[in-house]
Amino acid sequence: MKPANLVVKRVLRGGSAAIAAMIIGAASLSFAQESVAVRAPLVVGALPFDDPNAAVWSSAVPATFPMSPQVHWPDRIQEVTVKDVIVRALHDGTQVAVLLEYADPSEDQDDAAAIEFMVGEKKAHFAHGQPMLQVEGGPVNIWFWKNKENKAVDMSAKGFGTLKPQAHQDVKAKGLYANGTWKIVFSRALVTEHPDEDMQVTLGEFIDVAFAVWDGRKDAAGELVEKGSQKAVSSWWYFRADAPPDYSSYLYAAMAVALALGFQFVLIRKLKKGQ
Amino acid sequence: MGALGKPIIIMVGMYVFLKFVLPNIPGSAPLPSSLIVLYLLLTAAGIVILETVSRESKDAFWGPMQRFLTGENIGGLQAIRYGVFILFPLLVGWQTYSSTATSDSPPSESRTIHPAPPGEYTGLSNPVPNTPDNIMQGKGFYAAFCSPCHGVNFDGNGPAARGYNPRPANFADPTTIAMLQESYLFWRIKKGGVGLPIEGAPWKSAMPRWELELPDEWIWKIILGEYDGAHQSPRTWE
Repeated sequence: MKPANLVVKRVLRGGSAAIAAMIIGAASLSFAQESVAVRAPLVVGALPFDDPNAAVWSSAVPATFPMSPQVHWPDRIQEVTVKDVIVRALHDGTQVAVLLEYADPSEDQDDAAAIEFMVGEKKAHFAHGQPMLQVEGGPVNIWFWKNKENKAVDMSAKGFGTLKPQAHQDVKAKGLYANGTWKIVFSRALVTEHPDEDMQVTLGEFIDVAFAVWDGRKDAAGELVEKGSQKAVSSWWYFRADAPPDYSSYLYAAMAVALALGFQFVLIRKLKKGQ
Repeated sequence: MGALGKPIIIMVGMYVFLKFVLPNIPGSAPLPSSLIVLYLLLTAAGIVILETVSRESKDAFWGPMQRFLTGENIGGLQAIRYGVFILFPLLVGWQTYSSTATSDSPPSESRTIHPAPPGEYTGLSNPVPNTPDNIMQGKGFYAAFCSPCHGVNFDGNGPAARGYNPRPANFADPTTIAMLQESYLFWRIKKGGVGLPIEGAPWKSAMPRWELELPDEWIWKIILGEYDGAHQSPRTWE
C-alpha cells in the first residue's frame, strides 16, 4: 500500500498545483488592463507607403484613440478640432507603416500630425518626455508630418523646449486629404542604427505610443488657432508589431496531455497491482 | 466517501470565508487571489497531516481515493471517474498552453491612485481662512485653471478630459478628495503629474505643475473652492 499511497499523494500534489495555477491565471486575466493598442500584422508583399487607400490596410484592425486639448504646459488651448484619431499599422518584417486617419472639416497648409514613441527602457512623460521630479525619464521619438511639405521629420525630445530634428532622418510620411478626412501614412524601418534616438520595434513587444494633431485653420485675425503646444493630444497607448505565428505552444500542450495520460495509466496500473 | 466529506466541507468553508466573509469584516479588505490560494493550500496540507497521523486515519483518508481511481466497487461514480481521467489531461494541456503562448494583452500597469506624498507635504494646514470670500475666489481660480479637465461640476468630466488616461479626478466621488487631507491636495496641485512617485505612473498624468504658474495662496484657495464645490470635507486626524 505504501508505494500506492505515495503515488496518490503525488497526484494530489500535482493536481492541486495545477488547479492553483489555473485559479491564479484566471485571476490575473480578470485584472487585465483595458488598454487600447495599435497592432501591426505581418503582411506579405510591398507595404502601401504612399497609398492610404490601399486594400491591404483592411487587414489591420483599426484602433481609435480619443484626443484632448493639450493642457499640461502653457500655452494651452481649451478646444481642438480633432476629437479622435483612427490608427492602423502593418509591417513586412523589415519596415513598418502606420496610417493615421482623422476628420478635419478643411484642408489647410498648416495641418499637421505627429506620432510619439518612448525610446529605450526608461518611461518618458507623454508631454514630449517632460522631466519628472521623482522618476528619471527617458527621451521620446516624434514622427512629425506637416501638410505644407507633405513629408515627415524624425525628431527627438526630452522635455518641452528640447524638441529638435534628428541628424538622421529615417521616417517617411505622405498625407492625402479627401472628403473631410486626413489619411497620413508614416513609415520607417523596424530597426534603425540609432537606438538612443529612435524607437526600435521588437516583434511581439509593446511600445508606448501617443498622437498629436494640429488643425491648421486660422481665426478672423489670420492667426493660427492650433500651433506649437496648442494642439490635440492623446495619452500613452500601445503599439505592437505582431511576431510571425508561433505554434510551439500547441506542441507543448499536446506533449503535456500525452504525459498526463501516460501518468494516469501508470498510476492506475500501480494502484491495481498494489491491491 | 465519508472520510473525504469533512475535508471537502472544510476546504469549501475556508474558501467561502476568505472570499466572501473576511472582506466584509470592518477594517478588512478583499484578499488577493494568490493569498487565497496560499491559504487554501496550507489548509489542505493541514488536513492531509491530520488525516494521516495514524494508520487507521490514513487508510480512511486515502482508501476512498484509491478505490475511486481504480474503479473498485464505486458503482454510479464510474462515469465521474472517466470524466476525471478525461478532464485532468485536458487541464494540464490547457495550463501548459496558457503558460507558453505569447501574451496578446498589453503589459498591465498597476497605478497607485493616491501615492504617499513627500514628507514636507504631510500635515500642513491651510493658511487661508475658510471664509465665503476665499471660497468664492478659490472657485473662480478653479473655473479658470482646473475646470477644463475636472469639470464645472467638479466631476472630472470637463471638456478637455476625454483624451486623458488616467481620467482627471472626480472630486464629487467620496473616494477622492474626501479621503485626503488639504496638504495632500496642495502637493498634488503644486507639483502636478510630473511630481508623482514611480508607483503613481507620472509619465501618464496630464496634471500641470501649477507651482510654476500659480502662487501658493491661490492653490490653497482653490482647495477651499474644490471642497465646497464638490460638497466634500477634507480628511482630518480628529
